[in-house]
Amino acid sequence: MFGSGVGYVASQSGASEQHYVPATSHGSTETTSFGVELAGRPIAGERDAVVDIYYWTDYLCPFCKKFETETFPDIGRHYLDTGDARLVVLSYPNIGQYSTPAAVWGRCVWSQVADSNPGAFWNWHSAVFDEQSESGTDWADDETFTQVTERTDDVDVSSVDTCREERENAIRESMDPNLDVAQEARIRGTPGFVIYNRESGAAGKLVGAHPYENFADAIDQVMEA
Amino acid sequence: MSENRASASRDWARSLRRALVYPLTSDVRLLSAAVGTALTYVVLVLSSFPQFSVQVLTNDPADVVYAVSALTREVYLSTGALGLTLVTGYAVLTGIATTNALALVRRARRRGASTIVGVVPGVIAAGCASCGAGVLGALGFVGAMAALPFDGNLLRVGGIVLLLFFLARAGDPRTCSIDPT
Repeated sequence: MFGSGVGYVASQSGASEQHYVPATSHGSTETTSFGVELAGRPIAGERDAVVDIYYWTDYLCPFCKKFETETFPDIGRHYLDTGDARLVVLSYPNIGQYSTPAAVWGRCVWSQVADSNPGAFWNWHSAVFDEQSESGTDWADDETFTQVTERTDDVDVSSVDTCREERENAIRESMDPNLDVAQEARIRGTPGFVIYNRESGAAGKLVGAHPYENFADAIDQVMEA
Repeated sequence: MSENRASASRDWARSLRRALVYPLTSDVRLLSAAVGTALTYVVLVLSSFPQFSVQVLTNDPADVVYAVSALTREVYLSTGALGLTLVTGYAVLTGIATTNALALVRRARRRGASTIVGVVPGVIAAGCASCGAGVLGALGFVGAMAALPFDGNLLRVGGIVLLLFFLARAGDPRTCSIDPT
């Protein structure tokens, strides 16, 4: 079930920014002791990592793009690829009308590549954030997401479309329990993070695109707690 | 009738112009307006994502520059150049209004009010008799409008219009008197 990947910062053709692709990714059907349902969610890092990072995001959120481009690669190299932590991508649609359809796209892309080539999901994930325009949410529509999906290697658009048609309602409903967890953790915006030690039960919260040092401090504290 | 209206409009415009240029009449007033503007901008921008701001500042108060720059970019990306312009405009007008309000208070004290406590309620609650509504009173109301968490551009426009209204009513603080209490 563990997906194989390449632990380096990959660059997409035509893209000006470097994208991080986790060394390993995996899926799970468990519900963690923090209450987060993992089924169908992309998870970067090793399955037996001590620390969970629950990352609530929205593809239409500019602050999430800041995290993705400036901080995520460093967290990946220092905590995910080393086996210390794993990061779970969770949907928190809150920015625009296309936030929920965008989240469904993400889940469907992951379900298609999770077993065969999970790295393709992270390429798609980065490419979507690259599509954010300078202002507003008008860029987000079926056409843009279809184009990104077509451009991403190893992702089959027709399979993703079938998933969106057949499973959209089920995926939307499945977001609610993890949104309730975010609400209970008093996360009021994206990106929102809960850092959770699966062995000790210690947890911390970060909200917003903090600098990497703040994440490192928080992860270290939770890891040692 | 229309002549009266035109005359009243000219008076308002003249009064507003005098209020807006008052901070330019000395270095200290300009500095006061600049500090008021900067503080208002920082508060408005940080309040756009309060959870993040509190966490960053709690972790290290020196990160305020990071928080303000990150959230400035966030405001621009989420509300556009218009939104950022409105926030900046609101901050500038608040800096001017604060400077003018301080001048009103100082003037009232010179005219006989013995303590600041005797003057401030008049400015906050009702404004000086000849100026109508108090400038400081407007700031709380307008500030609340500007900081409201939902789609804010229309509200920010409303807040700026209100600030301009109160500034025009007060005019040049040197020509406005507060009845000492």
